[in-house]
Amino acid sequence: MVQKASRGKVEFVQTVKAYGASVAVAGIDLRIPAATYCCLLGPSGCGKTTSLRMLAGHEAVTSGDILLDNANITLMPPAKRGTAMMFQSYALFPHLTVVENVAFALRMKGVPKVERLIKAQEMLKIVDLGTYAERRPSQLSGGQQQRVALARALIMRPSVLLLDEPLSALDPFLRLRVRGELKRLQKSLGITFVHVTHSQDEALALSDLVVLMNSGKIEQKGTAEDLFTRPRTAFVARFIGAHNVIDLGDRAIAVRIDRTMLRRDGSADATRREVTVRTVEYAGTSFSIQLVDDRGSELAALISEQSFRATPLTEGERVLASWAPADAHVLEGGAR
Amino acid sequence: MRKRDDATNLSRRQILKGGAALAGAAAGTAITGFPAVIAAEPVTLRYLSTATNQSPAIAEKAAKDLGIKIEYVTVTTDDVTKRIITQPNSFDLVDTEYFSLRNLIPSGNLMGMDAKKIKLIDKLAPAITKGEIGGKKIGLQGTAPNKVMYLEGQNSKKFAASPTEWITLIPTTYNADTLGIRPDLIGRPIESWAELLNPQFKGKASILNIPSIGIMDAAMVIEASGKHKYADKGNMTKDEIDLTIATLIEAKKAGQFRAFWTDFNESVNLMASGETVIQSMWSPAVTAVRLKNIQCKFQPLKEGYRAWASGFGLPRTLKGKKLDAAYEFVNWFLSGWAGAYLNRQGYYSAVLDTAKENMEAYEWAYWMEGKPAEKDIKGPDGGLLEKAGAVRDGGSYNERMGSVACWNSIMDENAYMVRKWNEFIAA
Amino acid sequence: MPLLSTTDKQAMTHYARWTSYWQAAPLAAVLLLFFVLPLVVTFIVSFWSYTGYSIEPDFIFDNYRDAFDRCIVALPDLCTTFRTYLSTLRFCLAVWLLTLVIGFIIAYYLTFEIRTTTIRLVLALVCTIPFWTSNVIRMISWVPLLGRNGLVNQALVGAAIIDQPLDWLLYSNFSVLLAFVHLNTVFMIVPIANSMSRIDRSLVEAARDAGATGWQILLHIIIPLSKTGIAIGSIFVITVVMGDFITIGIMGGQQIASAGKVIQTQIGALQFPIAAANAVVLLAVVLMIIATLIRYIDIRKEL
Repeated sequence: MVQKASRGKVEFVQTVKAYGASVAVAGIDLRIPAATYCCLLGPSGCGKTTSLRMLAGHEAVTSGDILLDNANITLMPPAKRGTAMMFQSYALFPHLTVVENVAFALRMKGVPKVERLIKAQEMLKIVDLGTYAERRPSQLSGGQQQRVALARALIMRPSVLLLDEPLSALDPFLRLRVRGELKRLQKSLGITFVHVTHSQDEALALSDLVVLMNSGKIEQKGTAEDLFTRPRTAFVARFIGAHNVIDLGDRAIAVRIDRTMLRRDGSADATRREVTVRTVEYAGTSFSIQLVDDRGSELAALISEQSFRATPLTEGERVLASWAPADAHVLEGGAR
Repeated sequence: MRKRDDATNLSRRQILKGGAALAGAAAGTAITGFPAVIAAEPVTLRYLSTATNQSPAIAEKAAKDLGIKIEYVTVTTDDVTKRIITQPNSFDLVDTEYFSLRNLIPSGNLMGMDAKKIKLIDKLAPAITKGEIGGKKIGLQGTAPNKVMYLEGQNSKKFAASPTEWITLIPTTYNADTLGIRPDLIGRPIESWAELLNPQFKGKASILNIPSIGIMDAAMVIEASGKHKYADKGNMTKDEIDLTIATLIEAKKAGQFRAFWTDFNESVNLMASGETVIQSMWSPAVTAVRLKNIQCKFQPLKEGYRAWASGFGLPRTLKGKKLDAAYEFVNWFLSGWAGAYLNRQGYYSAVLDTAKENMEAYEWAYWMEGKPAEKDIKGPDGGLLEKAGAVRDGGSYNERMGSVACWNSIMDENAYMVRKWNEFIAA
Repeated sequence: MPLLSTTDKQAMTHYARWTSYWQAAPLAAVLLLFFVLPLVVTFIVSFWSYTGYSIEPDFIFDNYRDAFDRCIVALPDLCTTFRTYLSTLRFCLAVWLLTLVIGFIIAYYLTFEIRTTTIRLVLALVCTIPFWTSNVIRMISWVPLLGRNGLVNQALVGAAIIDQPLDWLLYSNFSVLLAFVHLNTVFMIVPIANSMSRIDRSLVEAARDAGATGWQILLHIIIPLSKTGIAIGSIFVITVVMGDFITIGIMGGQQIASAGKVIQTQIGALQFPIAAANAVVLLAVVLMIIATLIRYIDIRKEL
């Protein structure tokens, strides 16, 4: 099933979606290279799902264009685009067996019964569900259902697979495992996956390209590392997490919490701040210290077990939070 | 089962019949001898009948005159019979048709009413009691009331051939039915029952879908057309039933009938809307059509009328205060006011003399003597029925009742007839 | 020492089991009293003998023989009973098909085309307007419309489309069918709309994503998933039509036979045992139809 020629170059060009006066997607420009694992990340209502649905063809584009492998697909029906969608709740057809679910798209195309059932069976083997062909979706576990949905989407041989919160219905352990499987599958298929999620962990772990959206706009796009090490705005820094956003008056900076140091001596200046220890949490390999400064801003620091044991902190203690100037990353648009 | 018990007791009851009457009277007195408080409470009589026989005005007047409260129980003709047979304790007084007595009396649920307690017993219309008008016999085919009016004993299940003091039903209303027509749409005289199946009225005729009555109308038609002469239209042989139904089926298949009707309103609607121009009909229904300013005639026909009569019966279990009240009410009913009320509806009352005393002379002349109305004729509710100058269809009481050919009936072959009737409907 | 001995536990499960019986008892009693008992009585009475005024306990098959009087010997001609049932079944089939198609379309419109709940509610209420008056009034109101001198005929004659009024508009198979459809479509709409409202909208999108056209979505997704509603609506409509005698009576001008009318006439003539026999036959026919229906559709899912 490995396809050498990589497919799935997606371009959004000034794409807008408006419902009357309210704008869901406010003219985004986005270029996703072929064979990319792209995550659309953001809080709920940020326009990520709408963007995905416009790409799938389930939502009409108000203005602008969407291109796939250099073809303008803006006005095409879903099945003609070369996209396939995996729905959030999987949307398996409850009245059909697993194999019939997978074969559905072929049936719609008029592929003869025997042929389409053979192909569906092959696809089920790929997702490791070969023996469940005759079951009904309601007789499967959540993870199995997810794989049926995957098989059903992939049987259309799409250039882009669209995944709407694919892991949200799974329990945490399964989520980690399936995450790995998705990534492997994307690599082996050599197509683009566009994955909508509100979990930054998922996005950072999976993505070749993370697109963080906010209020219908793209806040920042780039590799996971880009976003993590160089958040463009305070919003990005906060959403990605593990950053302290510190307002220095004339500018705001982000400092990773593992680069935030705590000391007892010295005085506050541009790279130091007086804070009170609020809570101390043991996090296995490290300690997570929640702090609050005199202006009420919250900070955090991640301190290795070793250094914590050397100089233990207690709740309510006054300390100085400090950072190396090189670790201070200046944010656009201040602390808000 | 009960039937057999009663049959064995029959002769003993006959012997005791005089004594039983005495005992009944005694029981009545004993109960009314209760303390004054209870006795003063108004008696309520549950009066079972069809809507036709009921009128709030009569109940109101009875309450005023007698202090007896009448509570109407309104059901269809079939259900009156059904109630008497299956729920004889659900009423205190019933107004039902004579023809159903052939089923009611054997059930043992009605008592013979004591003639001695009916003050105007000798004034009852001879048309009912003897089957005579002015000393002349009228048509008595079918279940003529005089055939089923008397019992051999109070609790007897046998009808007496000659008058006895035990009466099945004290007559309330009766009438002579014929075809209703729309003279404006027909435009020529109609003189015979045979016209109902005249192909000229194809798709514009109707017959009523109550098997025991509908088959009588059909028999009138068949006899009028000369196809067959029945020994007794009200008691056909199986062959006669077959012949009658076959004739009806033939007409139905030829599209003669627009519809059949089962209740008063349906018959009025059919006629008033012009869906039909000739059909079986009841007298007040004709009046109802005319009240819509639509010409409609209750056409007298040369072969005569199909008559019916209904009367008061008492459940066998009625006792004491209620029994006394029931007799009191029946006597009141015959005493004139109610009779006049019924006459003004186009029915006939049981005691004509007392009704006459309660009617204006011009009313009596119009309704009973077949004379042109001197003044506008009003119904019992005061509503206008006919303008001055009108003449009642069919003329006087003597002309109409004197021309009765047969009476509504239940045949010996009733079960077979009902089955065949269903065949006709299904054809 | 365990907290509960084995016997205690047994006592408890025993107790629990009886509790559930007690909880089911009131409904069972009501069903027994008002459903099973009358049916049993009807069945028993159908073997009794009767006179014009009484019914006698007996065990005779005369009533069934009378119900099917000359039905076998008359073949290939149909006897009254067969003809009556054939006519009723024909109505049943036609009414079922019409109410199904119309009801399905209306339910589909209500569920999938109307977007706001308020309008959906208002329109659903509009569907029930015919039920604001009595059955008989609803039917009688057709008469001034369809009669020989009714509005429809007047309009057609007035517009010179026809020169003679159409008689078949009233007191005909047509008018019976019309009234049946008018009265019973809502029984299809409600259960089908209920089934449809449970269809996850993402299923429709998933089908469209898989390349299904509008018709294919209807055929492969919406109809199969509305099947239970269709079955329940069908049971309503079929039982109503099979047992009806009022609609057929009024709209057919009493000229069209129905199994219900036969029973009613016999009850009117106090022939309870033969009416009971006919009722048993009718019940058997209806049960057979429903059994066939349920073989194809599992309605338990919906209940």
